[in-house]
Amino acid sequence: MIWVSWRQHRSQAIACLALLAGLAVYAILAGTSMRTAFGNDNLAGSCLARSQGTACEAGVSAFMNEFGSAVNIAFWSVCLIIPGLIGVLVGGSLIARELEYGTWRLAWSQTVPRARWLAVKLALVTGGLIVLGAAMTAVITWYRAPMDQLTGQLQHNSYDYEGLVLTAYILCAFGFAVLAGLLIRRSIPAMVAAFIPWLAIRLVVEFVFRLHFMTPVTGQVGANCLPQGPPGCGYGISFVPQSTGHIGDLVLSMNGNLVTYQPADRFWPFQLIEAGIFVALTAAALGATTWLLHRRAAWTV
Amino acid sequence: MTQHDADGSVPALRTDRLGRRYGRVWGLRDCTLEVPAGAVAALVGPNGAGKTTLLEMIIGLLEPTEGQVSVFGQTSRAGTAEALARVGYVAQDHPLYRDFTVADMFHLGRAMNPSWDQELAAARVDALGIPLNRKIRRLSGGQQAQVSLTMALAKRAPLLVLDEPVSSLDPVARLEFMRDVMASAADRALTFLISSHVVAELERFCDWLIVLAGGHVQLAGPADDLLAAHRLLTVPRATPDAELPGTAIHRTDSDRHSTVLVRADPVQLAVQGHAGWQADPVSFEQLVMAYLQRPSTVTSTDDPAPAAPRPGPNTRAVIR
Repeated sequence: MIWVSWRQHRSQAIACLALLAGLAVYAILAGTSMRTAFGNDNLAGSCLARSQGTACEAGVSAFMNEFGSAVNIAFWSVCLIIPGLIGVLVGGSLIARELEYGTWRLAWSQTVPRARWLAVKLALVTGGLIVLGAAMTAVITWYRAPMDQLTGQLQHNSYDYEGLVLTAYILCAFGFAVLAGLLIRRSIPAMVAAFIPWLAIRLVVEFVFRLHFMTPVTGQVGANCLPQGPPGCGYGISFVPQSTGHIGDLVLSMNGNLVTYQPADRFWPFQLIEAGIFVALTAAALGATTWLLHRRAAWTV
Repeated sequence: MTQHDADGSVPALRTDRLGRRYGRVWGLRDCTLEVPAGAVAALVGPNGAGKTTLLEMIIGLLEPTEGQVSVFGQTSRAGTAEALARVGYVAQDHPLYRDFTVADMFHLGRAMNPSWDQELAAARVDALGIPLNRKIRRLSGGQQAQVSLTMALAKRAPLLVLDEPVSSLDPVARLEFMRDVMASAADRALTFLISSHVVAELERFCDWLIVLAGGHVQLAGPADDLLAAHRLLTVPRATPDAELPGTAIHRTDSDRHSTVLVRADPVQLAVQGHAGWQADPVSFEQLVMAYLQRPSTVTSTDDPAPAAPRPGPNTRAVIR
């Protein structure tokens, strides 16, 4: 069964490796020049050491303009949907292709019962996607490391691609697509039907729930905001440090001298919570698939 | 525990009041039949008769709504490895993975069947001149059917179920395919159950006949016995069914004569001979067609008196 799964998903595995290789090449080229600039401008020395003092706007904005400008809306949108695309492309065909081409009659009439057929396939493909997600995360985290020193990891364009969530997003789209493939019985419609709810959940979690995974902290603005106050300080990705006076905090709102924020050290708890949500959705979808496939013999052809 | 026949042998296949409902519609109902070990059985019926439903329940791809299936005396539970191992299956249109090579398909067979016979598989495609390294999509329809049959044979299951195996093949490929089936049945003491809506192919090769129509078994038994038990009578047009020997199965009325296919004991046929009557042996195809065209006595739920005999020639199907 392991060989069968490998043989059927071989081309997908190769495509995923090619994608990963492309990402790695880009990350090494862009990441190397970013590191050089980061060192030359001595941003690490000047800026980071003065995180409690006045901001080092000039150097930071020059650096961010050069390396952060790639993170515009179009680029960010593509990055946002890539994990979903990987998941649905791999998952959409897993069962639906067998149903489309009639090969389920071949696959499920061998001596291996269909429940085992599905379990082995799901285990291996899920494992492959976890490896892929972890590798992509590692590459992106390495690439972004200098920038993360300035912005922290709670900002969208670092949080979404570092830690655990990237892998969880891929798995969730995969699980949805496998289930949709069993229900719809056609690969392409299954991929579309899985992608839409995946994207909806992904956006709702990011922009509605994530900010409140844990109760935000309210405190005084940092020393860098006083005595000049706004506009000398503020929040958002280009302020280093943030108006809390620390690097990497995610500021939700400012009201006079009071600032409400999620502290930078909540990165890992947040990652665990968000990855947990998507892994739970994956487990629900794959569990439903397993049950439905088992019951399918009793319902319809 | 095994179930024995009256003569002590275990049938290769027995279904007992097997039924399958799709929503509110029965695809197959009350199907009780037996195929003895070593038989090459033809399952004949029009499209939608319930053939595929029956076959899928025998294989275990489909769970019966009622009744049960036994293969060589063992009751099959749908989808279990034990049930799956006992039946080899060539599905309709012989599905294979199109981007696999023949060798890949055999690798799959080996990986998914503990009793896989690689030597048999390799020798068989070699004899057929099918290269192992060729992709499935580059094979002809006949070759794909042969690869499917090879996979079913190499699974080493004692019962083989073929669903419309020749319907997509040209006449030469049909003949070759059926010859191969016959040779395997003879060489390796296998039992075959072959469904088809093409009757002509089966006549030469099958020794057991099952006619399925409207979700019910219309006729089942050894082909020779069934042929011997039926006659095609040519009688004057006005002769009512009641005066005929045996049971009228199907009647064709022309201007002056009626041709009636009857089922009766051959002895009875001999003694009831009338002047001007003619009794001819029936062909396999005539027999099957007669039962397929017979108005079903059990399927129509709207009919207030479904079992009542229908007098008069007008209610009969008339062949033109």
